[in-house]
Amino acid sequence: MDYDAMDMDTEALGPAVKISEADSTHVNFELSNVDLSFANSLRRIIQAEVPTVAIDLVEFMANTSVLADEFIAHRLGLIPLDSRNIKDMPMARDCDCGGHCDKCTVILTLHAKCLGDEIMNVHASDFSVSSARPNQTVGNPIITDPEGLGPLICKLRKGQELHIECMAKKGIAKEHAKWMPTSAVGFEYDPHNKLHHLDLWYETDAEAEWPKSKYADWEDPPQEGEPFDYDAVPNRFYFEVESAGNIDPDAIIQLGISELQQKLAKLITGLGEKSNIDDQYDGPQSPGAMDDGAMYQNDGYQTAYGNGGAQSAWGGGATAYGTTPYGNSGQGGWS
Amino acid sequence: MNAPDRFELFMLGDNEKKITEKIYAGMSNTSDFILLKEDHTLANLLAEHLKQAPHVLMCGYKLAHPNVPEVFIRIQTDGTITPKEALIEVCKQLIGAYAQLQREFTREYELRKMVSAGNQDQANGF
Repeated sequence: MDYDAMDMDTEALGPAVKISEADSTHVNFELSNVDLSFANSLRRIIQAEVPTVAIDLVEFMANTSVLADEFIAHRLGLIPLDSRNIKDMPMARDCDCGGHCDKCTVILTLHAKCLGDEIMNVHASDFSVSSARPNQTVGNPIITDPEGLGPLICKLRKGQELHIECMAKKGIAKEHAKWMPTSAVGFEYDPHNKLHHLDLWYETDAEAEWPKSKYADWEDPPQEGEPFDYDAVPNRFYFEVESAGNIDPDAIIQLGISELQQKLAKLITGLGEKSNIDDQYDGPQSPGAMDDGAMYQNDGYQTAYGNGGAQSAWGGGATAYGTTPYGNSGQGGWS
Repeated sequence: MNAPDRFELFMLGDNEKKITEKIYAGMSNTSDFILLKEDHTLANLLAEHLKQAPHVLMCGYKLAHPNVPEVFIRIQTDGTITPKEALIEVCKQLIGAYAQLQREFTREYELRKMVSAGNQDQANGF
């Protein structure tokens, strides 16, 4: 194929995305034209390193409920808090204040006492959130149930009381799973097991006993008697991202990608290469910020991406490397 | 009780450098890179893509212990470029590839939103 003449779609050879389902808490998509390590790094980063806010420190003024303080504190940590505009908020560890302040901490207070004969339920919606915080949404408990109550924290009998003050901080799931933005991430490839990455256990016939994935229809089943291809590598990956509610599912992907780019940029600067890229990756940026190629306009970074020019950065070339998924002839791209 | 703090998995210590290069004398054109506070997310990504990069003869990585967030990457090149240059090149390529993924994803997502909004309008009789 003549790559030079291929200027109708400059990004024909790079990563491609096809979204099959999306709503307020899910996004399912197919990622193709990438290799396993590329897709898997995306999966790992959205699960472990996209920052959110969660309750981290709880002060108990009164707790006469049947649950122990630490038990309640653990439950509080797991309540999803709104983290959509988290970029205004620094990590408490990096904040100038040294401890906690309005910039890096959101205070949530709750005071409940059961006075009636009925058992009283205490929900996340009973929190009052301090107004001194980076912006007016960050730290609000996420409430999605139709009654608008939010997650149940504990139940109180007549005379029992719960009075707490919680400090919510920004963090990542590598430190504690309560900071995960995702509740589940599906990651699948090769639904027909053509690559034999799986060794399916069976009684008599693996084909009959194992249910087919829903993505099996998306790829050609193996031909009868087809010889095993030793050189085949996976290149279509099926993601099913489920948000915990604190960040929108598409934002999780976007922030994960930014996070990875920052990591890579830090290596470039760490190796002593002159790079302004590091400053520019400071904090998550809005999607599409890079559409005009402005991100890479400093020396050494321009031309390759984001220009609609006739020459494709991904256009590949004559070398063997040109045939890889991100094929770059080694001259057209980063020079 | 004496477990290390969890944030030590990703916060660099006071005198720690993110990445250090050590020339490996046992092989020609070979360097070892030590990445502190990193894990398979970055290590596997870099190692796999270095293997595909031009002028790189050999590349491998290890995480010596699952509790120790230190990545070891060894790169051998054919001498046309240094291992460090190869690594920087791959980092830049990957940043670009992820930038493209970001654009692709945004475009597809916006398109999808427009389609579903259109469908809703139809359902509502607009």
